[in-house]
Amino acid sequence: MATFTERMAPVLVLWLAVCLSGTWAVDRGNFKTCDQSSFCKRQRALKPGESPYRALLETMELTNTRLTLQLINDNNKVRLLLELYRLQGNITRVKINELKPLKPRYEVPDVLVREPPTEPLSVLSQDENGVVLSLGAESQRVIVSARPFRLDIMEGHDVLMSLNSRGLLAFEHLRMRKDTQAEPEAENKEEADSANQAETAKEEEEKVEEGMWEETFKSHSDSKPNGPSAVSLDFSLPGVEHVYGIPEHADTLRLKTTDNGDPYRLYNLDVFQYELYNPMALYGAVPVMLAHNTKRTTGIFWLNAAETWVDISSNTAGKTVFGKMLDYVQGSSETPQTDVRWISESGIIDVFLMLGPTPKDVFSQYASLTGTQSFPPLSSLGYHQCRWNYNDQEDVRSVDAGFDEHDIPYDFIWLDIEHTDGKRYFTWDPHKFATPKEMLQGLLEKKRKMVAIVDPHIKVDSNYKIHNEIRSRGFYVKNKDGGDYEGWCWPGSAGYPDFTRADMRAWWASMFAYDQYEGTMENLYTWNDMNEPSVFNGPEVTMHKDAMHGSWEHREVHNLYGLYVHRATAEGLIQRSGGVERPFVLTRAFFAGSQRYGAVWTGDNAAEWDHLKISIPMCLSLGLVGISFCGADVGGFFKSPSSELLVRWYQTGAYQPFFRAHAHLDTPRREPWLFGPENTALIREAVRQRYTFLPYWYQLFYQAYRTGEPVMRPLWVEYPQDPATFAVDDEFLIGRDLLAHPVTEEGSRGVTAYLPGKDEFWFDIHTFQKHNGAQNLYIPVTMSSIPVFQRGGSIIPRKLRVRRSSTCMENDPYTLFVALNTRRSAEGELYIDDGHTFNYEKKEFIHRKLSFANNVLSSVNLAPDAQFTTKSWVERVVILGASKPGKITLKTADGEESQLDFEFDASMSVLTIRKPGMNAGEDWKITLK
Amino acid sequence: MHLLLIVAAFLCSGTVEARKVRGISSSYKRFYRERKSFLCIDGSKMIPFEQVNDDYCDCADGSDEPGTSACPRGRFYCTNLGFRPHYIPSSRVNDGVCDCCDASDEYNSHTRCQNTCWNLGQKERAYVEGQMRTLDEGLRLKQRLIEEGVLLWREKQAQLRELQQAAEDLQVKLEEHRRRKHEADQLKEQTIKSLEVGKDGFRPQNTSVTSLFQLLDNNKDGSISVDEVKAKVVLVHDEKRVLSEDEALVLLGGGREMDLTKFRHTLWDILTRGDNVKIKDGAPGGPANEDPHLKEADRAAEWEATSLRKVEEAYETVNMEISDLQKKLDIDYGTDWEFLFLSGQCYKLQVYEYNYTLCPFNQVTQKSTTGTEVSLGMWGMWAGPPKNHYSQMVYENGEPCWQGGSRTTTVTLTCGTETGLRSAKEPSKCQYIMDFQTPVACQPVLKQRGVHSEL
Repeated sequence: MATFTERMAPVLVLWLAVCLSGTWAVDRGNFKTCDQSSFCKRQRALKPGESPYRALLETMELTNTRLTLQLINDNNKVRLLLELYRLQGNITRVKINELKPLKPRYEVPDVLVREPPTEPLSVLSQDENGVVLSLGAESQRVIVSARPFRLDIMEGHDVLMSLNSRGLLAFEHLRMRKDTQAEPEAENKEEADSANQAETAKEEEEKVEEGMWEETFKSHSDSKPNGPSAVSLDFSLPGVEHVYGIPEHADTLRLKTTDNGDPYRLYNLDVFQYELYNPMALYGAVPVMLAHNTKRTTGIFWLNAAETWVDISSNTAGKTVFGKMLDYVQGSSETPQTDVRWISESGIIDVFLMLGPTPKDVFSQYASLTGTQSFPPLSSLGYHQCRWNYNDQEDVRSVDAGFDEHDIPYDFIWLDIEHTDGKRYFTWDPHKFATPKEMLQGLLEKKRKMVAIVDPHIKVDSNYKIHNEIRSRGFYVKNKDGGDYEGWCWPGSAGYPDFTRADMRAWWASMFAYDQYEGTMENLYTWNDMNEPSVFNGPEVTMHKDAMHGSWEHREVHNLYGLYVHRATAEGLIQRSGGVERPFVLTRAFFAGSQRYGAVWTGDNAAEWDHLKISIPMCLSLGLVGISFCGADVGGFFKSPSSELLVRWYQTGAYQPFFRAHAHLDTPRREPWLFGPENTALIREAVRQRYTFLPYWYQLFYQAYRTGEPVMRPLWVEYPQDPATFAVDDEFLIGRDLLAHPVTEEGSRGVTAYLPGKDEFWFDIHTFQKHNGAQNLYIPVTMSSIPVFQRGGSIIPRKLRVRRSSTCMENDPYTLFVALNTRRSAEGELYIDDGHTFNYEKKEFIHRKLSFANNVLSSVNLAPDAQFTTKSWVERVVILGASKPGKITLKTADGEESQLDFEFDASMSVLTIRKPGMNAGEDWKITLK
Repeated sequence: MHLLLIVAAFLCSGTVEARKVRGISSSYKRFYRERKSFLCIDGSKMIPFEQVNDDYCDCADGSDEPGTSACPRGRFYCTNLGFRPHYIPSSRVNDGVCDCCDASDEYNSHTRCQNTCWNLGQKERAYVEGQMRTLDEGLRLKQRLIEEGVLLWREKQAQLRELQQAAEDLQVKLEEHRRRKHEADQLKEQTIKSLEVGKDGFRPQNTSVTSLFQLLDNNKDGSISVDEVKAKVVLVHDEKRVLSEDEALVLLGGGREMDLTKFRHTLWDILTRGDNVKIKDGAPGGPANEDPHLKEADRAAEWEATSLRKVEEAYETVNMEISDLQKKLDIDYGTDWEFLFLSGQCYKLQVYEYNYTLCPFNQVTQKSTTGTEVSLGMWGMWAGPPKNHYSQMVYENGEPCWQGGSRTTTVTLTCGTETGLRSAKEPSKCQYIMDFQTPVACQPVLKQRGVHSEL
């Protein structure tokens, strides 16, 4: 929906108008560079190869679950405690904290789904230079080197990953402020340890750099009462040239090296009109990076919620293909290697090394730590119609009617901030939305739903119940002086509830009860925007870092705030139905673990072709780190799309997980039927295609919920050994079996899609034409083209009776698309449940394996202990790449056999089996003779 | 009622074919006669008749499944007895949403649909009747407004002609006044000139000599005395000093008295030359100002100038009125000038916190309760579709919007018995739409619409 300034008071509007008249882009000056963020500048100034840290091997303790070891900084004698855990599922956890911090340092709670179960570690060998530990069953070892301290994780003879190999471990210990000199004892104790060295060490320590104890940015000052507290660690990834992840950035899928610019920044910010292809921070942050080469995929999860910067460098980055080849031919080259360095402003080092070896192993490793994508209601995978704003109930009614008139399906219509009574969330404008239940009932009768926005900034207004409650319960975030923190946002002066408090979240959740949130019904869902949090008059449009959440500074929890808002809201929606119904909540800010609470979108993009293109890598990057339910505003939020761009965006969005059109208040209307009958037809067709694939999307989301595998995937995830796929981000896979290369170029006459897999066939889903894998295929396109291919070897269940909403299609029959591979076989799955409750957790679902081999197509139960009945049946089977059979018979569960009619299209080798008619939940077998 | 009976009878007689084939209109029944096979209506394929409405799509045109949802582009016919029959997309058959008022689309779904056709029909009939009444009334009013419009048009034309006549008359008058002013100015000039000539030795006119004599002859006894000279005549170089007895005597040519004849030949010359003595300031009129001819000429010139100005102003006003009126008359008020009566009127409507004002053919404004008034556009043009050109007005170039462009308002005119604003909305920023009801928007063509029932 909305960023900063553009909805602001006239003064700002004027100011903005001036800004906008120049270039149309982010005002970079509003946001910090590494140089302007004192800890980043300090840390980045460190030189590699001068690590002052030494492991004190004699302090090593090994229990069944962990190894601990002290590290000492030889410059200042401050000791750190290293903890090393071997976690189940091939994960190694490394935690580093101060041995005796002046006060506790923040450790991120509520992100891990549980205390990760450990596996035993054992010492293989030890001498004065280091220790070799065995990492469980696989031939993996950790080598702890003492001087300087360094960790190497080995498998066989290969180094998978090294920590502090460049000596950039840095841990700014908490200290007393020198100019106050209140209690110098703490320092004295340290000095007592050693004699001479301590003197010089103290000298060094006392060098108080600018920005350590106070920092200003623009007109904002950060009081930093705890002084410097940054942590940093480097990781070397030998043999790796491709790293991914650490969203959210508007950048390519493959991360770039950062030597010549700023590091990638992770700090949740409301960036007005963000720029593309740069490492600036955006609305959300997931500190997870994946590294991949043809042999292995690994991941690094840096669990820290403070402002974080990530530097990436590579020894091959600058080299041309020819240069690399020359290296190879001459055999002289060093192994390619990527070095990564994480720098966080505060907290501790708590890092999870996910050691793969396959991409799917990494997904499940990460899922075991932070959970999987919540299983969304089926309807939320349909099309969403949003705009800032639908003005009143009559407007909603007429847009709803427009979809029926133009025969375009949709499931959700959305209301942005103007629906409230003066930006007081949980209320309705008394004139424009005087009878919300009537409106919701009208939608319900058409089996459609609505989303209304609830932002976390609360209008300071003593006549507003929500504000009064939060204030009287002391639930607001406090400023550094102990008063309620106030910032400027849509309602004007606003307070920010402290969502880090469990009691606050419980109270917030209770506000979604039907008797609390008046005018709501079961088909109203929620949208959390502005939860970075956005503070119009705060530093970098967010909260002051010295604001207080209980005893913790905002600095410590910043990137977590949005996750907590999302969580409390999702819990509210669950609770209002007594735990029966699945929630649907969209969030703009997120963190590791946000996948457990719902969907995210890529924020306030723009109606530009490059923004359409970037939607692919942005959602792919999110999928890699667990957040599958991702989408970009179709059409672009700011500015007005040409009809060509709008159509192309619908065609792209129809094949991305979260499919919502949205538009800025100042743009002209753009409901799908406003661009002439031809474009209406093109948009209708794109949306209809989406609805035919809903069974497949739903099954993929079930899979994502079960395994953590992304729904929308980069090609390399399925073709990890094909380097040609490693940097592809203009096309993507949906699950394993669909490949989409949407048209994202203006005036395009054709696209070149890379079809992966040496032994694969790819079938055009529209024409059924078969193409071989491992080729670049030129596809001529017209305005109606959406290049999408089904993988040979797959079976995709679809529902071809597209109706006005997904709920209307609940009992519809399936058509099975069976695409044969070179071995003339295929496999797929079919998942069915009620589509909206948590009853699937009680084993109320149908999960079947569909397979075709030896001319027999059969359905077998994948979950024999689950129970569910469906009215849906199989109306048609389409076999792609088939040959003509003599006859076809069906054998159903009760043993009855019958002959089936079929048609065969010899030109495309398509066999269509007419109306087999068996129930989709039963066992059956179709034999081609 | 008759209609129903006929329909019922028809249905009874046609049961054999009609029962089987769901979702078709009577005009399509001929395609669905029970035979062995069925030919898709587009002729593309022949299928066994059992496959009609068997919930599987065989025909590319969807014609084999008129009563199910099986075909993607199929359509289902709601008979809607008692109401209006219509087609719905076949995707709405058995989707759990009641679409046909006779509930025929939900013959196999959980949703219990009521047959609401009769109610709807009644409502529709009442509505249509209402509409018809409105239309009749509207058309009647429209006729009157057209007549009024024609009259108004004629009136305005007459007004224009009058104004033009007035302008012509004024033009003539203007010429006349210009001439007269010119003459008066000339006369004035001449008078001044002649006075100046007199100073240079020319005999001033009798009246002038006489008037000066009379001025000096205070007691009006026909002669000027020493005292009278002392009272009115002073030295040019020493105005303050009263003349002495002797000096007065000298001026009177040595005598104590001087009559008009003697004055004309002696003192008059001295005074008009003005070298040594002159008439005391404050005494009315020097020889020049004093001159009644000049005074008169001056007054006349001034009078003529004022008159001319007045005529000129009147002329300008009339011309302005003419151009205003012409501008107004240049606007397209419809083929019969039926919209002319709206000109000069304003219509108001309050929507939420805003007061909207539409002044047709002039402007649209919005005033918020906080008080600021914003222009939503000035009269632009008619913008209806070609066959109904007068159904939409556009007002443009209102207050600029900060994202660029300016506010515009599109006003849609609908038929009603009263003239007024019915709604005002802002669907997109700075794009306003209004619904304006007026009898003159009533079109006779509407009358053909009504409730049909399928036979």
